Amino acid sequence: MDTAIQVSEQSRRDAEGYRRARLRALWVRRMVIFVSAVVLSIYVLAPVVWLVSSSVQTEAEITSVPPHWIPEEPTLQNYRAIFSATEEEEITYENRSGVDPVSGGFIPSTAKSLLPAMGNSFIVACAVVVLNLLVGVPAAYAIAKIRFMARNASVYFILTTRVIPDIALVVPFFLMIKNLGLLDTLSSLIITYLAVTVPFTVFILVQYFEGLPDELDKAARVDGCSRFQALIHVYLPLSLPSLVAVVLFTFLTSWNEFLLALMFTQTEASQTLPILLAAFTSDFTISFSFINAAGVLAIVPPVIVAIVFERYIVSGLTAGAVKG
Amino acid sequence: MARIQFNKVNKRYANGFHAVKDLNLEIRDKEFLVLLGPSGCGKSTTLNMIAGLEEVSDGELLFDDRIVNDAPPHKRDVAMVFQSYALYPHKSVYENIGFGLRMRRMDKAEIDRRVRDAATRLEITHLLDSRPGNLSGGQRQRVALGRAMVREPAVFLMDEPLSNLDAALRISMRAEIKELHRTMQTTFVFVTHDQAEALTLADRIVVMRDGVVQQIGTPDDIYERPRNTFVASFLGSPPINYLDGQIDTVDGGSLFRRGDLSLRLPPHVAERLAGQGGRHVTLGIRAEDVDERHQAGADNLLRARVKSVLPIGSDQYLGVHFDKQELYFRVGKDLAHKPGETVDLAVDLSRLHVFDPETSRSLIWEDGAAQ
Ligand SMILES: Nc1ncnc2c1ncn2[C@@H]1O[C@H](COP(=O)(O)OP(=O)(O)OP(=O)(O)O)[C@@H](O)[C@H]1O
Ligand SMILES: [Mg+2]
Repeated sequence: MDTAIQVSEQSRRDAEGYRRARLRALWVRRMVIFVSAVVLSIYVLAPVVWLVSSSVQTEAEITSVPPHWIPEEPTLQNYRAIFSATEEEEITYENRSGVDPVSGGFIPSTAKSLLPAMGNSFIVACAVVVLNLLVGVPAAYAIAKIRFMARNASVYFILTTRVIPDIALVVPFFLMIKNLGLLDTLSSLIITYLAVTVPFTVFILVQYFEGLPDELDKAARVDGCSRFQALIHVYLPLSLPSLVAVVLFTFLTSWNEFLLALMFTQTEASQTLPILLAAFTSDFTISFSFINAAGVLAIVPPVIVAIVFERYIVSGLTAGAVKG
Repeated sequence: MARIQFNKVNKRYANGFHAVKDLNLEIRDKEFLVLLGPSGCGKSTTLNMIAGLEEVSDGELLFDDRIVNDAPPHKRDVAMVFQSYALYPHKSVYENIGFGLRMRRMDKAEIDRRVRDAATRLEITHLLDSRPGNLSGGQRQRVALGRAMVREPAVFLMDEPLSNLDAALRISMRAEIKELHRTMQTTFVFVTHDQAEALTLADRIVVMRDGVVQQIGTPDDIYERPRNTFVASFLGSPPINYLDGQIDTVDGGSLFRRGDLSLRLPPHVAERLAGQGGRHVTLGIRAEDVDERHQAGADNLLRARVKSVLPIGSDQYLGVHFDKQELYFRVGKDLAHKPGETVDLAVDLSRLHVFDPETSRSLIWEDGAAQ
């Protein structure tokens, strides 16, 4: 009896030691995660913060050393220029020195093209997203759930189109677009962006659909669904997370695309935001703060899209967790 | 209500695998038919062809007098319960059960009535608002049954619906399925590899092996009159024992002889084997067809050495050594044996099976379905 108690006290001491070690490990792990999260956030967010902050600074303040993270005399002149550019008198080479005498910074005449360009970008991105879903979802369902001849071959074919760099396709694309008479139209962008994004969409969705059990498809069809209805009623609701991934990916790809847009667009009728922004930066007389203001506007729509769909990402994930 | 007919049906998968071979089968209206066989024998394939989920490669599949080879599943009026239940994870139990009716554009009030009826019958009313992910296996199984039930289909298909349940639940669900069949008055086709399930549920059983039908018959037929050694071995636990030996014709009767063992074959067997003295045969003795409480006579004595005794609660399994072979029997538990002892077993002669050692066919029951 006595010896038994001795042993258990010893083991209790051991147990206490283990417990402490475990808590210590837990604490260390939390600290590591916390510090990494902070470092990562600073790394990701600092440029954005600087972009926003400098967009409301004057040209003098923006170039001050050390830089001001918080503007001392904030101004909305850049935004005013963008949103009311049309009413202002034309700024020309001759009168531009008259603008903002403090800094010598200069707001270009193309400022008024910024909103239309954003509109173009938005139309193209939305069209690409919608068409991607319309084409990609049925294609992925067919590849994942219907056995047909050359099924594997078609998957490989779709994927190989993606190992070719875009730059190699620019000239053929240009000739095709030119011969179709679509130069300087939004359709030229929508068509070529689809060629770039649809393979990814199909690839992502095939992966996801293949992970969903075949028996769900069979159950739906026995329950009275045609193939198409099985897709709509069963597969789509279950694949929300991957659909959101597809929406974000295609929207951002189209919104940011530069190379093809540079080739196919010539005027305000079809120029997208990246083209216009790039044009600003190549003119070194243009105010930095103005360029930054344009940059802030450029990130607003993607951020909104991400915030809107983030909620669906979360609800999509919980729906997946319930899977039987 | 439907009669289903397979006319020389074959199924070859896209990769060339021949999963079902020359299937001829008539499933009668309102019958409870069980497809029984080991894994990979083509049971699910056959069921999926009935459902329209797999194409018929050649031959004809008829529902009543209608050829349905190319009819899609939603045109066939069948309902199906899957082994994995295949409930829609994003729908509530209520929506799961009502989905098939909704797809058929039935009016809301009628859907509601049927769903609630089924839920009441299956005792899942309190679960109607839950998602399938929050249910236990048994509850999911009931939801899956409910989803098929409300459809009031012409054909009710089930693919190993009970195999994911624990033993006790499986037995009680068997009774419920049997009851369901009685009240629904419709054709049931049930797939299983569990012989006990097949024997308890079926009006008729189809035993399959490697895509070929081995025997079609009532549970009694299949168990008592197996057409070949495969069917005989597949049913019964422990499995039937086989002894190779020779037929010996004596004074108007026949004996089975092997070494010291000599068993008198019953008249219906002797008649079949008349004039075949000297023929090599395989004798089959079912595990329960021996008795050691009754005195064994000279005609039916099997003397063997006890190797193992395995109590199973109600009975015990007796493993014996006989002539370098191991045989397993099922005997009453009141009799105590120790390994190494010699035991005298009285064989129930009227229930012996005799097979041809080369073809594995029964020499007693060779007419009929053993194509
Ligand atoms: N899509 C397919 N392509 C190729 N072969 C297949 C396919 N589906 C099934 N098979 C093969 O056909 C055979 C019969 O399959 P089936 O699913 O009908 O077996 P089963 O009797 O239901 O077996 P289990 O008890 O394991 O479910 C198996 O050998 C299987 O490997
Ligand atoms: Mg199966």
